[in-house]
Amino acid sequence: MPRIADVSNVEKNFILEALISSKLRLDGRQLDQYRSIDLTYGQQLGNATVTLGKTKVNVQISAEVTKPSEERKFDGIFTITTELSPIASPGFEIGRPTEQEVLLSRILEKAIRRSRAIDTESLCIVAGQKCWSVRADVHVLDFDGGLTDACCIATMAALHHFRRPEVSVEGERVTIHTMAERVPVPLSILHSPICVTFSFYADGELVLLDATAKEEQVREAEMVVTANDFEVCQIAKHGGKPVDPAIVVKCFQVAIFKAREMNKSMRARLTADLAKRDIRGQSAENERGEAPIG
Amino acid sequence: MPLDTTSTYSTTLLRLDGRRWNELRKISASISTQPTADGSSLVTTGNTSVVCTITGPREGRGQGDRTNAIVDTDINIAPFAQLDRRRVGRTDKRVQELQTTISQAFQAHLFTHLYPRSSILISLTVLSLDGGLLSTCLNAASIALIDAGVPMPSILASITTGTIIPTDNSLSRPEPVLDLNNAEEVELPFMNLATVRGQTGSEDQISVLLMETRVQMSEANNPLEIMLRIGLDGCAQVRSHLEEVIRRHGRRMTQGRR
Repeated sequence: MPRIADVSNVEKNFILEALISSKLRLDGRQLDQYRSIDLTYGQQLGNATVTLGKTKVNVQISAEVTKPSEERKFDGIFTITTELSPIASPGFEIGRPTEQEVLLSRILEKAIRRSRAIDTESLCIVAGQKCWSVRADVHVLDFDGGLTDACCIATMAALHHFRRPEVSVEGERVTIHTMAERVPVPLSILHSPICVTFSFYADGELVLLDATAKEEQVREAEMVVTANDFEVCQIAKHGGKPVDPAIVVKCFQVAIFKAREMNKSMRARLTADLAKRDIRGQSAENERGEAPIG
Repeated sequence: MPLDTTSTYSTTLLRLDGRRWNELRKISASISTQPTADGSSLVTTGNTSVVCTITGPREGRGQGDRTNAIVDTDINIAPFAQLDRRRVGRTDKRVQELQTTISQAFQAHLFTHLYPRSSILISLTVLSLDGGLLSTCLNAASIALIDAGVPMPSILASITTGTIIPTDNSLSRPEPVLDLNNAEEVELPFMNLATVRGQTGSEDQISVLLMETRVQMSEANNPLEIMLRIGLDGCAQVRSHLEEVIRRHGRRMTQGRR
Protein backbone atom coordinates (compact mmCIF):
# COMPACT_ATOMS: atom_id res chain seq x y z
CA MET A 1 0.00 0.00 0.00
CA PRO A 2 1.56 3.30 -0.98
CA ARG A 3 2.39 5.59 1.91
CA ILE A 4 3.71 9.05 2.28
CA ALA A 5 7.41 8.96 3.13
CA ASP A 6 7.96 9.69 6.81
CA VAL A 7 9.82 12.89 7.45
CA SER A 8 13.48 12.09 8.08
CA ASN A 9 15.06 12.57 11.50
CA VAL A 10 17.37 15.25 10.17
CA GLU A 11 14.47 17.28 8.77
CA LYS A 12 12.45 16.76 11.92
CA ASN A 13 15.24 17.95 14.20
CA PHE A 14 15.94 20.93 11.95
CA ILE A 15 12.31 22.06 11.87
CA LEU A 16 11.90 21.69 15.64
CA GLU A 17 15.19 23.38 16.49
CA ALA A 18 14.48 26.31 14.18
CA LEU A 19 11.06 26.72 15.78
CA ILE A 20 12.10 26.36 19.39
CA SER A 21 15.34 28.33 19.41
CA SER A 22 14.59 31.09 16.92
CA LYS A 23 10.84 30.90 16.18
CA LEU A 24 11.65 30.44 12.50
CA ARG A 25 9.60 28.41 10.06
CA LEU A 26 10.99 26.66 6.98
CA ASP A 27 9.36 29.12 4.58
CA GLY A 28 10.13 32.16 6.74
CA ARG A 29 6.53 32.88 7.77
CA GLN A 30 5.50 34.23 11.16
CA LEU A 31 4.05 31.72 13.60
CA ASP A 32 0.52 33.05 13.07
CA GLN A 33 0.78 33.79 9.37
CA TYR A 34 -1.25 31.96 6.74
CA ARG A 35 0.22 31.10 3.35
CA SER A 36 -1.08 33.09 0.42
CA ILE A 37 -4.70 32.14 -0.22
CA ASP A 38 -5.98 32.30 -3.77
CA LEU A 39 -9.70 31.90 -4.45
CA THR A 40 -10.95 31.50 -8.01
CA TYR A 41 -14.40 30.65 -9.28
CA GLY A 42 -14.96 28.31 -12.17
CA GLN A 43 -17.16 28.78 -15.20
CA GLN A 44 -20.19 27.18 -13.59
CA LEU A 45 -21.93 28.74 -10.64
CA GLY A 46 -20.98 26.95 -7.44
CA ASN A 47 -17.49 25.89 -8.48
CA ALA A 48 -14.66 27.28 -6.36
CA THR A 49 -10.95 26.46 -6.23
CA VAL A 50 -8.83 27.47 -3.25
CA THR A 51 -5.05 27.41 -3.28
CA LEU A 52 -3.37 27.62 0.13
CA GLY A 53 0.33 27.67 -0.62
CA LYS A 54 0.75 24.38 -2.51
CA THR A 55 -2.47 22.82 -1.23
CA LYS A 56 -5.22 23.00 -3.85
CA VAL A 57 -8.87 22.13 -3.26
CA ASN A 58 -11.82 22.32 -5.66
CA VAL A 59 -15.45 22.23 -4.55
CA GLN A 60 -18.45 21.80 -6.84
CA ILE A 61 -21.99 22.37 -5.60
CA SER A 62 -24.91 20.68 -7.33
CA ALA A 63 -28.60 20.45 -6.56
CA GLU A 64 -31.34 18.07 -7.59
CA VAL A 65 -34.93 17.50 -6.60
CA THR A 66 -35.61 14.45 -4.48
CA LYS A 67 -37.89 13.10 -1.76
CA PRO A 68 -37.08 14.36 1.75
CA SER A 69 -36.22 11.89 4.51
CA GLU A 70 -39.03 10.43 6.61
CA GLU A 71 -37.73 11.91 9.85
CA ARG A 72 -37.42 15.45 8.52
CA LYS A 73 -40.30 16.14 6.16
CA PHE A 74 -39.91 19.91 6.21
CA ASP A 75 -36.18 20.00 5.54
CA GLY A 76 -34.13 19.67 2.40
CA ILE A 77 -31.00 17.54 2.24
CA PHE A 78 -27.45 18.84 2.34
CA THR A 79 -24.45 16.52 2.07
CA ILE A 80 -20.73 17.10 1.86
CA THR A 81 -18.58 14.38 0.32
CA THR A 82 -14.82 14.38 0.48
CA GLU A 83 -12.73 11.89 -1.34
CA LEU A 84 -8.97 12.01 -1.11
CA SER A 85 -7.34 10.44 -4.15
CA PRO A 86 -3.73 9.73 -5.12
CA ILE A 87 -3.82 12.89 -7.25
CA ALA A 88 -3.26 14.83 -4.08
CA SER A 89 -0.69 12.67 -2.33
CA PRO A 90 0.67 9.12 -2.50
CA GLY A 91 -0.66 8.50 1.00
CA PHE A 92 -4.29 8.67 -0.13
CA GLU A 93 -6.12 5.74 -1.64
CA ILE A 94 -9.62 5.75 -3.11
CA GLY A 95 -12.09 3.50 -1.36
CA ARG A 96 -9.97 3.03 1.74
CA PRO A 97 -10.35 6.16 3.84
CA THR A 98 -7.49 6.78 6.22
CA GLU A 99 -8.00 8.11 9.73
CA GLN A 100 -7.10 11.54 8.43
CA GLU A 101 -9.81 11.39 5.77
CA VAL A 102 -12.45 10.33 8.28
CA LEU A 103 -11.49 13.16 10.62
CA LEU A 104 -11.50 15.69 7.78
CA SER A 105 -14.93 14.59 6.64
CA ARG A 106 -16.28 14.67 10.20
CA ILE A 107 -14.87 18.14 10.90
CA LEU A 108 -16.32 19.57 7.68
CA GLU A 109 -19.64 17.95 8.48
CA LYS A 110 -19.69 19.39 12.01
CA ALA A 111 -18.48 22.78 10.87
CA ILE A 112 -20.86 23.30 7.99
CA ARG A 113 -23.72 20.83 8.16
CA ARG A 114 -24.32 20.39 11.87
CA SER A 115 -23.82 24.06 12.63
CA ARG A 116 -26.61 24.80 10.15
CA ALA A 117 -24.68 27.08 7.85
CA ILE A 118 -27.29 26.31 5.19
CA ASP A 119 -30.94 26.79 6.08
CA THR A 120 -32.28 23.37 5.06
CA GLU A 121 -35.89 24.42 5.67
CA SER A 122 -35.66 26.81 2.74
CA LEU A 123 -34.75 23.83 0.53
CA CYS A 124 -38.15 22.25 1.04
CA ILE A 125 -40.48 22.44 -1.98
CA VAL A 126 -43.50 20.35 -1.01
CA ALA A 127 -43.40 19.05 2.56
CA GLY A 128 -42.92 15.31 2.67
CA GLN A 129 -42.76 14.92 -1.10
CA LYS A 130 -40.24 17.09 -2.84
CA CYS A 131 -37.18 18.94 -1.65
CA TRP A 132 -33.83 20.10 -2.92
CA SER A 133 -30.84 17.91 -2.23
CA VAL A 134 -27.75 20.11 -2.27
CA ARG A 135 -24.47 18.29 -2.56
CA ALA A 136 -20.98 19.67 -2.07
CA ASP A 137 -18.24 17.56 -3.67
CA VAL A 138 -14.81 18.35 -2.30
CA HIS A 139 -11.90 17.30 -4.51
CA VAL A 140 -8.40 17.66 -3.16
CA LEU A 141 -6.08 18.29 -6.07
CA ASP A 142 -2.80 18.79 -4.23
CA PHE A 143 -1.85 18.24 -0.60
CA ASP A 144 0.70 20.21 1.38
CA GLY A 145 -0.95 20.56 4.78
CA GLY A 146 -3.80 22.84 5.83
CA LEU A 147 -6.39 20.56 4.25
CA THR A 148 -9.20 21.29 6.72
CA ASP A 149 -8.78 25.03 6.40
CA ALA A 150 -8.65 24.98 2.60
CA CYS A 151 -11.63 22.61 2.23
CA CYS A 152 -13.78 24.72 4.53
CA ILE A 153 -12.99 27.99 2.76
CA ALA A 154 -13.58 26.40 -0.63
CA THR A 155 -16.89 24.87 0.42
CA MET A 156 -18.23 28.11 1.91
CA ALA A 157 -17.06 30.11 -1.11
CA ALA A 158 -18.76 27.67 -3.47
CA LEU A 159 -21.97 27.71 -1.43
CA HIS A 160 -22.11 31.51 -1.51
CA HIS A 161 -21.52 31.39 -5.26
CA PHE A 162 -24.04 28.70 -6.17
CA ARG A 163 -27.46 29.49 -7.61
CA ARG A 164 -30.25 26.92 -7.77
CA PRO A 165 -33.13 26.97 -10.28
CA GLU A 166 -36.26 28.83 -9.23
CA VAL A 167 -39.28 26.71 -8.33
CA SER A 168 -42.96 27.67 -8.42
CA VAL A 169 -45.64 25.60 -6.72
CA GLU A 170 -49.31 25.81 -7.78
CA GLY A 171 -51.39 23.48 -5.61
CA GLU A 172 -50.06 20.04 -6.47
CA ARG A 173 -48.05 21.03 -9.53
CA VAL A 174 -44.41 21.96 -9.11
CA THR A 175 -42.61 23.71 -11.95
CA ILE A 176 -38.84 23.92 -11.96
CA HIS A 177 -37.79 26.79 -14.16
CA THR A 178 -34.61 26.50 -16.19
CA MET A 179 -31.79 28.95 -15.79
CA ALA A 180 -32.89 30.73 -18.95
CA GLU A 181 -36.56 31.14 -17.94
CA ARG A 182 -36.20 32.53 -14.47
CA VAL A 183 -33.23 33.94 -12.66
CA PRO A 184 -31.66 31.29 -10.41
CA VAL A 185 -31.84 31.77 -6.67
CA PRO A 186 -28.93 31.84 -4.18
CA LEU A 187 -28.91 29.43 -1.24
CA SER A 188 -30.02 30.68 2.15
CA ILE A 189 -26.78 30.81 4.13
CA LEU A 190 -27.21 31.63 7.81
CA HIS A 191 -23.56 32.06 8.81
CA SER A 192 -20.11 31.52 7.36
CA PRO A 193 -17.93 29.11 9.37
CA ILE A 194 -14.17 29.07 8.76
CA CYS A 195 -11.86 26.34 10.11
CA VAL A 196 -8.58 27.37 11.71
CA THR A 197 -6.05 24.64 12.47
CA PHE A 198 -3.59 25.13 15.32
CA SER A 199 -0.48 22.94 15.56
CA PHE A 200 1.33 22.57 18.88
CA TYR A 201 5.04 22.03 19.45
CA ALA A 202 7.50 22.09 22.36
CA ASP A 203 5.17 20.68 25.03
CA GLY A 204 2.30 22.85 23.87
CA GLU A 205 4.15 26.12 24.25
CA LEU A 206 4.58 26.94 20.58
CA VAL A 207 1.49 27.32 18.44
CA LEU A 208 1.57 27.52 14.63
CA LEU A 209 -1.15 28.43 12.21
CA ASP A 210 -1.45 26.79 8.80
CA ALA A 211 1.21 24.08 9.00
CA THR A 212 2.68 22.64 5.81
CA ALA A 213 2.78 18.87 5.33
CA LYS A 214 6.26 18.60 6.86
CA GLU A 215 5.31 20.76 9.84
CA GLU A 216 2.19 18.61 10.29
CA GLN A 217 4.24 15.44 10.49
CA VAL A 218 6.43 16.71 13.32
CA ARG A 219 3.76 18.38 15.42
CA GLU A 220 2.78 17.05 18.84
CA ALA A 221 -0.91 17.91 18.74
CA GLU A 222 -3.46 19.72 16.59
CA MET A 223 -6.68 21.52 17.30
CA VAL A 224 -9.23 22.68 14.73
CA VAL A 225 -11.39 25.60 15.84
CA THR A 226 -14.23 26.58 13.51
CA ALA A 227 -15.59 30.07 13.97
CA ASN A 228 -17.85 32.48 12.15
CA ASP A 229 -17.83 36.22 12.71
CA PHE A 230 -18.97 36.08 16.32
CA GLU A 231 -19.35 32.47 17.49
CA VAL A 232 -17.20 29.41 17.86
CA CYS A 233 -18.99 26.66 15.92
CA GLN A 234 -16.92 23.66 16.77
CA ILE A 235 -13.68 22.65 18.47
CA ALA A 236 -11.82 19.43 17.71
CA LYS A 237 -8.76 18.32 19.59
CA HIS A 238 -8.70 14.58 18.97
CA GLY A 239 -6.10 13.61 21.57
CA GLY A 240 -2.44 14.28 20.93
CA LYS A 241 -0.09 15.79 23.49
CA PRO A 242 -1.91 17.59 26.35
CA VAL A 243 -1.92 21.39 26.16
CA ASP A 244 -2.25 24.16 28.75
CA PRO A 245 -5.82 25.53 29.01
CA ALA A 246 -4.67 29.16 28.95
CA ILE A 247 -3.15 28.59 25.50
CA VAL A 248 -6.34 26.90 24.32
CA VAL A 249 -8.46 29.90 25.32
CA LYS A 250 -6.12 32.23 23.45
CA CYS A 251 -6.55 30.02 20.38
CA PHE A 252 -10.32 30.59 20.45
CA GLN A 253 -9.82 34.34 20.20
CA VAL A 254 -7.30 33.99 17.38
CA ALA A 255 -9.73 31.73 15.52
CA ILE A 256 -12.54 34.30 15.58
CA PHE A 257 -10.17 37.03 14.46
CA LYS A 258 -8.88 34.96 11.54
CA ALA A 259 -12.42 33.90 10.60
CA ARG A 260 -13.51 37.54 10.36
CA GLU A 261 -10.50 38.35 8.16
CA MET A 262 -11.15 35.38 5.90
CA ASN A 263 -14.87 36.09 5.55
CA LYS A 264 -14.19 39.68 4.61
CA SER A 265 -11.75 38.76 1.84
CA MET A 266 -14.06 35.97 0.64
CA ARG A 267 -16.97 38.39 0.35
CA ALA A 268 -14.79 40.80 -1.63
CA ARG A 269 -13.81 38.07 -4.10
CA LEU A 270 -17.40 36.92 -4.44
CA THR A 271 -18.72 40.39 -5.31
CA ALA A 272 -15.87 40.85 -7.79
CA ASP A 273 -16.68 37.58 -9.56
CA LEU A 274 -20.43 38.16 -9.67
CA ALA A 275 -19.81 41.64 -11.04
CA LYS A 276 -17.72 40.10 -13.81
CA ARG A 277 -20.55 37.79 -14.78
CA ASP A 278 -22.87 40.79 -14.86
CA ILE A 279 -20.99 42.56 -17.60
CA ARG A 280 -23.81 42.18 -20.05
CA GLY A 281 -26.41 42.95 -17.43
CA GLN A 282 -27.66 39.39 -16.97
CA SER A 283 -27.51 39.11 -13.22
CA ALA A 284 -30.27 38.24 -10.80
CA GLU A 285 -30.36 41.80 -9.59
CA ASN A 286 -31.03 43.44 -12.97
CA GLU A 287 -34.15 43.43 -15.10
CA ARG A 288 -33.52 41.47 -18.23
CA GLY A 289 -34.99 40.84 -21.65
CA GLU A 290 -34.43 37.79 -23.81
CA ALA A 291 -30.62 38.02 -23.85
CA PRO A 292 -29.06 34.54 -23.62
CA ILE A 293 -26.67 33.79 -20.80
CA GLY A 294 -23.19 34.30 -22.27
CA MET B 1 -43.68 18.02 33.11
CA PRO B 2 -41.31 20.25 31.14
CA LEU B 3 -39.20 18.54 28.53
CA ASP B 4 -36.37 21.06 28.43
CA THR B 5 -34.00 22.52 30.98
CA THR B 6 -33.83 26.10 29.75
CA SER B 7 -37.40 27.05 30.56
CA THR B 8 -37.45 25.91 34.19
CA TYR B 9 -33.83 26.37 35.25
CA SER B 10 -34.01 30.07 36.11
CA THR B 11 -36.84 29.46 38.62
CA THR B 12 -35.82 26.15 40.16
CA LEU B 13 -32.01 26.12 39.68
CA LEU B 14 -32.43 22.37 39.21
CA ARG B 15 -31.99 20.34 36.05
CA LEU B 16 -34.57 17.89 34.75
CA ASP B 17 -33.18 14.99 36.77
CA GLY B 18 -33.01 17.06 39.94
CA ARG B 19 -29.27 17.77 39.92
CA ARG B 20 -27.69 21.12 40.60
CA TRP B 21 -25.40 22.71 38.05
CA ASN B 22 -22.19 21.21 39.41
CA GLU B 23 -23.46 17.79 40.51
CA LEU B 24 -22.01 14.81 38.68
CA ARG B 25 -24.09 11.72 38.07
CA LYS B 26 -23.28 8.72 40.20
CA ILE B 27 -20.04 7.17 38.89
CA SER B 28 -19.50 3.54 39.79
CA ALA B 29 -16.22 2.17 38.48
CA SER B 30 -14.96 -1.38 38.89
CA ILE B 31 -11.50 -2.52 37.93
CA SER B 32 -10.35 -6.00 36.88
CA THR B 33 -13.86 -7.17 36.07
CA GLN B 34 -12.63 -9.79 33.58
CA PRO B 35 -9.62 -11.68 34.98
CA THR B 36 -8.84 -13.38 31.64
CA ALA B 37 -8.16 -10.09 29.87
CA ASP B 38 -4.85 -8.27 30.37
CA GLY B 39 -6.80 -5.36 31.79
CA SER B 40 -10.49 -4.68 32.22
CA SER B 41 -12.94 -2.29 33.79
CA LEU B 42 -16.61 -1.39 33.95
CA VAL B 43 -17.57 2.27 34.35
CA THR B 44 -21.14 3.46 34.80
CA THR B 45 -21.86 7.21 34.80
CA GLY B 46 -25.53 7.66 35.56
CA ASN B 47 -27.22 5.53 32.90
CA THR B 48 -24.22 5.30 30.58
CA SER B 49 -22.39 2.01 30.99
CA VAL B 50 -19.15 1.00 29.24
CA VAL B 51 -17.07 -2.18 29.57
CA CYS B 52 -13.42 -1.94 28.58
CA THR B 53 -10.87 -4.69 28.00
CA ILE B 54 -7.20 -4.21 27.16
CA THR B 55 -5.18 -6.65 25.09
CA GLY B 56 -1.50 -5.93 25.32
CA PRO B 57 1.14 -4.77 25.25
CA ARG B 58 1.79 -7.62 22.84
CA GLU B 59 3.79 -8.19 19.68
CA GLY B 60 2.89 -5.71 16.99
CA ARG B 61 1.96 -6.84 13.49
CA GLY B 62 3.77 -5.75 10.37
CA GLN B 63 5.73 -2.54 10.17
CA GLY B 64 4.99 -1.34 13.64
CA ASP B 65 6.62 1.76 14.98
CA ARG B 66 10.11 0.75 16.02
CA THR B 67 10.36 3.11 18.97
CA ASN B 68 6.85 3.22 20.46
CA ALA B 69 3.89 0.95 21.08
CA ILE B 70 0.86 1.56 18.85
CA VAL B 71 -2.48 2.10 20.57
CA ASP B 72 -5.61 0.92 18.74
CA THR B 73 -9.21 1.30 19.80
CA ASP B 74 -12.30 -0.67 18.94
CA ILE B 75 -15.75 0.55 19.97
CA ASN B 76 -18.84 -1.61 19.82
CA ILE B 77 -22.15 0.07 20.66
CA ALA B 78 -24.63 -2.66 21.58
CA PRO B 79 -27.94 -2.50 19.65
CA PHE B 80 -29.86 -2.40 22.95
CA ALA B 81 -27.81 0.51 24.32
CA GLN B 82 -30.13 3.27 23.17
CA LEU B 83 -33.87 3.86 23.41
CA ASP B 84 -34.52 2.43 19.92
CA ARG B 85 -32.90 -0.84 18.97
CA ARG B 86 -30.34 0.14 16.40
CA ARG B 87 -27.28 -1.62 14.96
CA VAL B 88 -24.38 0.80 14.72
CA GLY B 89 -22.02 -0.38 11.98
CA ARG B 90 -18.24 -0.44 12.24
CA THR B 91 -17.90 1.95 9.33
CA ASP B 92 -20.04 4.63 10.94
CA LYS B 93 -17.95 7.81 10.77
CA ARG B 94 -18.99 8.95 14.23
CA VAL B 95 -17.70 5.71 15.77
CA GLN B 96 -14.49 5.90 13.74
CA GLU B 97 -13.93 9.43 14.97
CA LEU B 98 -14.38 8.30 18.59
CA GLN B 99 -11.96 5.44 18.05
CA THR B 100 -9.34 7.74 16.57
CA THR B 101 -9.77 10.24 19.39
CA ILE B 102 -9.29 7.62 22.11
CA SER B 103 -6.28 6.07 20.34
CA GLN B 104 -4.58 9.41 19.83
CA ALA B 105 -5.29 10.54 23.39
CA PHE B 106 -3.61 7.50 24.92
CA GLN B 107 -0.89 7.31 22.28
CA ALA B 108 0.38 10.65 23.55
CA HIS B 109 -0.31 9.96 27.21
CA LEU B 110 1.00 6.44 27.94
CA PHE B 111 4.70 5.66 28.26
CA THR B 112 4.71 3.93 24.89
CA HIS B 113 8.48 4.22 24.51
CA LEU B 114 8.79 1.38 27.03
CA TYR B 115 7.15 -1.06 24.59
CA PRO B 116 8.68 -0.62 21.12
CA ARG B 117 7.34 -2.75 18.27
CA SER B 118 4.25 -3.61 20.36
CA SER B 119 0.57 -2.92 20.12
CA ILE B 120 -2.02 -2.16 22.77
CA LEU B 121 -5.67 -2.77 21.86
CA ILE B 122 -8.45 -1.01 23.77
CA SER B 123 -11.82 -2.71 23.24
CA LEU B 124 -14.85 -0.85 24.44
CA THR B 125 -18.39 -2.17 24.56
CA VAL B 126 -21.17 0.29 25.26
CA LEU B 127 -24.00 -1.40 27.13
CA SER B 128 -26.17 1.59 27.82
CA LEU B 129 -26.06 5.10 26.43
CA ASP B 130 -27.41 8.21 28.13
CA GLY B 131 -25.03 11.01 27.25
CA GLY B 132 -21.30 11.34 27.90
CA LEU B 133 -20.24 8.50 25.60
CA LEU B 134 -16.72 9.69 24.86
CA SER B 135 -16.09 10.66 28.48
CA THR B 136 -17.19 7.32 29.90
CA CYS B 137 -15.16 5.46 27.27
CA LEU B 138 -12.03 7.46 28.13
CA ASN B 139 -12.51 6.90 31.87
CA ALA B 140 -13.11 3.18 31.40
CA ALA B 141 -10.03 2.85 29.17
CA SER B 142 -7.96 4.78 31.71
CA ILE B 143 -8.52 2.42 34.60
CA ALA B 144 -8.46 -0.67 32.39
CA LEU B 145 -4.98 0.38 31.23
CA ILE B 146 -3.92 0.71 34.86
CA ASP B 147 -5.22 -2.81 35.45
CA ALA B 148 -3.19 -4.02 32.46
CA GLY B 149 -0.11 -2.52 34.03
CA VAL B 150 0.66 -0.01 31.27
CA PRO B 151 2.59 2.84 32.88
CA MET B 152 1.32 6.40 32.55
CA PRO B 153 2.19 9.68 34.31
CA SER B 154 -1.35 10.30 35.66
CA ILE B 155 -4.94 9.21 35.24
CA LEU B 156 -6.68 10.62 32.16
CA ALA B 157 -10.13 11.73 33.29
CA SER B 158 -12.95 13.08 31.17
CA ILE B 159 -16.31 14.81 31.53
CA THR B 160 -18.85 16.82 29.56
CA THR B 161 -19.72 20.44 30.32
CA GLY B 162 -22.54 22.47 28.92
CA THR B 163 -24.05 25.88 29.31
CA ILE B 164 -27.60 27.10 29.80
CA ILE B 165 -28.11 30.32 27.90
CA PRO B 166 -31.08 32.10 29.40
CA THR B 167 -33.62 32.93 26.70
CA ASP B 168 -35.85 35.30 28.60
CA ASN B 169 -33.34 37.74 30.06
CA SER B 170 -30.32 38.02 27.81
CA LEU B 171 -28.50 40.21 30.32
CA SER B 172 -28.09 37.49 32.92
CA ARG B 173 -25.01 35.32 32.83
CA PRO B 174 -24.93 31.96 31.05
CA GLU B 175 -24.95 29.11 33.57
CA PRO B 176 -22.47 26.24 33.19
CA VAL B 177 -23.58 22.66 33.92
CA LEU B 178 -21.48 19.55 34.51
CA ASP B 179 -21.97 16.01 33.21
CA LEU B 180 -24.86 16.16 30.78
CA ASN B 181 -27.26 13.31 30.12
CA ASN B 182 -28.71 12.54 26.69
CA ALA B 183 -31.68 14.89 26.91
CA GLU B 184 -29.43 17.77 27.96
CA GLU B 185 -26.91 17.00 25.20
CA VAL B 186 -29.62 17.32 22.58
CA GLU B 187 -30.82 20.64 23.96
CA LEU B 188 -27.79 22.53 25.29
CA PRO B 189 -24.43 23.48 23.75
CA PHE B 190 -21.80 21.25 25.35
CA MET B 191 -18.21 20.12 25.09
CA ASN B 192 -16.33 16.90 25.85
CA LEU B 193 -13.20 17.50 27.88
CA ALA B 194 -10.41 15.16 29.02
CA THR B 195 -7.45 16.27 31.11
CA VAL B 196 -4.29 14.85 32.60
CA ARG B 197 -2.35 16.15 35.57
CA GLY B 198 0.18 18.81 34.64
CA GLN B 199 3.76 19.04 35.84
CA THR B 200 4.13 19.94 39.50
CA GLY B 201 2.94 23.46 40.00
CA SER B 202 1.07 23.87 36.74
CA GLU B 203 -2.60 23.18 36.22
CA ASP B 204 -4.19 20.21 34.49
CA GLN B 205 -3.45 19.94 30.77
CA ILE B 206 -6.13 19.41 28.15
CA SER B 207 -5.80 16.15 26.24
CA VAL B 208 -9.13 15.96 24.39
CA LEU B 209 -11.52 18.81 23.63
CA LEU B 210 -14.51 18.27 21.37
CA MET B 211 -17.40 20.62 20.83
CA GLU B 212 -19.99 20.37 18.07
CA THR B 213 -22.36 23.18 18.99
CA ARG B 214 -22.23 26.93 18.51
CA VAL B 215 -21.27 29.10 21.45
CA GLN B 216 -20.93 32.86 21.48
CA MET B 217 -17.63 34.49 22.35
CA SER B 218 -18.08 37.69 24.29
CA GLU B 219 -15.65 39.89 26.11
CA ALA B 220 -17.15 39.53 29.58
CA ASN B 221 -18.68 36.31 30.98
CA ASN B 222 -17.39 34.34 28.04
CA PRO B 223 -19.53 31.15 28.12
CA LEU B 224 -16.84 29.16 26.35
CA GLU B 225 -14.15 30.00 28.87
CA ILE B 226 -16.52 29.44 31.80
CA MET B 227 -17.44 25.99 30.41
CA LEU B 228 -13.76 25.14 30.08
CA ARG B 229 -12.85 26.20 33.62
CA ILE B 230 -15.78 24.30 35.14
CA GLY B 231 -14.86 21.31 33.00
CA LEU B 232 -11.28 21.31 34.31
CA ASP B 233 -12.68 21.18 37.83
CA GLY B 234 -15.10 18.43 36.89
CA CYS B 235 -12.29 16.34 35.40
CA ALA B 236 -10.32 16.75 38.62
CA GLN B 237 -13.33 15.44 40.57
CA VAL B 238 -13.65 12.44 38.25
CA ARG B 239 -9.91 11.81 38.52
CA SER B 240 -9.95 11.68 42.31
CA HIS B 241 -12.88 9.26 42.18
CA LEU B 242 -11.06 6.96 39.72
CA GLU B 243 -7.87 7.14 41.78
CA GLU B 244 -9.79 6.09 44.88
CA VAL B 245 -11.20 3.06 43.02
CA ILE B 246 -7.69 2.07 41.90
CA ARG B 247 -6.20 2.47 45.37
CA ARG B 248 -8.99 0.42 46.94
CA HIS B 249 -8.35 -2.35 44.42
CA GLY B 250 -4.61 -2.19 45.06
CA ARG B 251 -5.16 -2.48 48.81
CA ARG B 252 -7.43 -5.47 48.31
CA MET B 253 -4.83 -7.14 46.07
CA THR B 254 -1.91 -6.65 48.45
CA GLN B 255 -3.93 -7.80 51.46
CA GLY B 256 -5.06 -10.90 49.60
CA ARG B 257 -1.48 -11.84 48.82
CA ARG B 258 -0.31 -11.78 52.40
